[in-house]
Amino acid sequence: MLRKEVNDLLTQTDPGTTMGEMFRQYWIPALLARELPEDDCPPVRVKLLGERLIAFRDSKGRYGLMDEFCAHRGVSLWFGRNEEGGLRCPYHGWKYDVNGQCIEVPSEPEESGFCEKIKLKAYPLIKVGDVLWTHMGDKENRPPEPEWEFATVPEDQTYTSKRWQECNWLQAMEGGIDSSHVSFLHSGGLKSDPLFKGAKGNQYNANDKKPVFEVTESDGGLFIGARRMAEEGHYYWRITPWVMPSFTMVPPRGDHPVHGHFWVPIDDYNCWAWSFDYHPTRPLTPEELQAMKDGYGVHNKYESEDSFRPLQNKDNDYLMDRAAQKSGESYSGIWGIAMQDASLQESMGPVVDRTRENLVSTDNGIIMARHRLRKAAIALRDKGVQPPGRTTEHQMVRSAAKVLPDDQPFKDAMAEDLTVRPGVKQTSV
Amino acid sequence: MPHDSDDIFEADNATRRDRGPVDHPTMLSSCSRAATAEEARYRVQYPNSMTRSSRIFALDEAAAEAMYGITEEPWNDAHFLTLAARGKVSPDTRPEDLPLSRPDGAAASLLDEIEGADVVVLLASDGTSEGAAEVIARECFERRIMCAGLALGQGRSDAAVATVVNSMRRFARVLVVAQDDDFIPAMLTALRA
Repeated sequence: MLRKEVNDLLTQTDPGTTMGEMFRQYWIPALLARELPEDDCPPVRVKLLGERLIAFRDSKGRYGLMDEFCAHRGVSLWFGRNEEGGLRCPYHGWKYDVNGQCIEVPSEPEESGFCEKIKLKAYPLIKVGDVLWTHMGDKENRPPEPEWEFATVPEDQTYTSKRWQECNWLQAMEGGIDSSHVSFLHSGGLKSDPLFKGAKGNQYNANDKKPVFEVTESDGGLFIGARRMAEEGHYYWRITPWVMPSFTMVPPRGDHPVHGHFWVPIDDYNCWAWSFDYHPTRPLTPEELQAMKDGYGVHNKYESEDSFRPLQNKDNDYLMDRAAQKSGESYSGIWGIAMQDASLQESMGPVVDRTRENLVSTDNGIIMARHRLRKAAIALRDKGVQPPGRTTEHQMVRSAAKVLPDDQPFKDAMAEDLTVRPGVKQTSV
Repeated sequence: MPHDSDDIFEADNATRRDRGPVDHPTMLSSCSRAATAEEARYRVQYPNSMTRSSRIFALDEAAAEAMYGITEEPWNDAHFLTLAARGKVSPDTRPEDLPLSRPDGAAASLLDEIEGADVVVLLASDGTSEGAAEVIARECFERRIMCAGLALGQGRSDAAVATVVNSMRRFARVLVVAQDDDFIPAMLTALRA
């Protein structure tokens, strides 16, 4: 249960809000690099943290992210002409560079210098891996560029997708650290999904549906450990890292690629669910890549080729299959792990009313994450303290799965496994 | 649904055709309508849970200190208890012999306290309380009461925290390590204690 004022604080991310200011301390994923595939390609509308923006790539390959609307008459620059080093409004020809600086106002004498007085709010847009990242806070407090492992391994070892999720970011993110739902909601997927099936760890999951949880703080967020019975005198551990504010990873299975997410607010009622898969030491196989593109694992199918809205969405009741639900083939009747989560999270409503929830002890990962978010956001607001999760060191985390003797605490026994080690394979069962 | 199909949705539609009418979204029962902000206004506002009985046991002096700071807050049905005697407790101690006291100093009985409890939370800040934790957890286990452990790490070294965690690992179905004592009220509030 959360008091309404705390729920509001954590879920509202528009400019000027407490959590909105906290999100603006981080580099966050803004677009897939393939959305701006070449110089002078069409611009793309982007909405992040309650701000309407336009992204483009100019003639020299520089990326720009700025206020969507022309300073002259408020026309959307999505209609703009991306040409000769800037984005030109088609209404009266005003032109902007990647920094939002107006560089041409054709109706005014060039010598007047008028255009120098016009500047749209702009944010940096940088490419790391196959993602374009932005930092929407003050330049003085800009953190080091992102170094998440999924974004820094060679190109052929990683794949990222994104989907529009029609609910607040927090209820989506909380699904990423809620380890106890896997044995139920995703039980069908563990047996059939090509990016999950076949791992020995799946048997432990299936045999012990009442895991014991250990939640421990890390410098950047949390490690949430779920422990299940393994062979005599041993436990099977699955460790989910959460790094503030909204990075989560799924513990690996066998030699399958490692999955994870970023949950990025679009506005208070919508978010981007970023989903990545990577392997630390080998290229993804053609079969794995195809499975990801086909919507398996943490990915999904789309309504159309140029849409990020899932094919299964609230307008078609997520293609609910009651027969599959009844037979147990799919526990909820919804196909695909990603949409099994999204359908339930969207059903909570745009912003779930947490004053009415009834959490139990096994929800302590969620309780602790909210607690840390709230404290960090208030410390930033009231004292200017920069929140955890911004530094390279905090980003050097991995998820892991391992069988340990029953007297060994995971945080000590798996310290190396939970840390990025370039060239070393993930720890998995 | 044939999950190994190249076009799973086409296959699914074929299956649906064979089954006859599909549950197409219709009016109020469809997700597109039901999940809107407008419809959220109409959620039933009657209470959806009864008062929970929570029992919080501080197993050492520092844990008791941290706990005393919040006992005066308006809890639902939370009882706060400490070990009345200092020193190690043998795990073989009979439950009726475990020396417990309430914040006002009055003596308390373990068996009376946990009768009907929904959740037991063990608070510990050092590794000296393993015996007491075992006595309490054993009674919880027999009564099928959820037993959670909260290791308090504020101002303590990693090694000290590890000792606390190890002392509770065998008994707690959920174990949380909190670096700050302010997580105690946050957790209890979230659990409607």
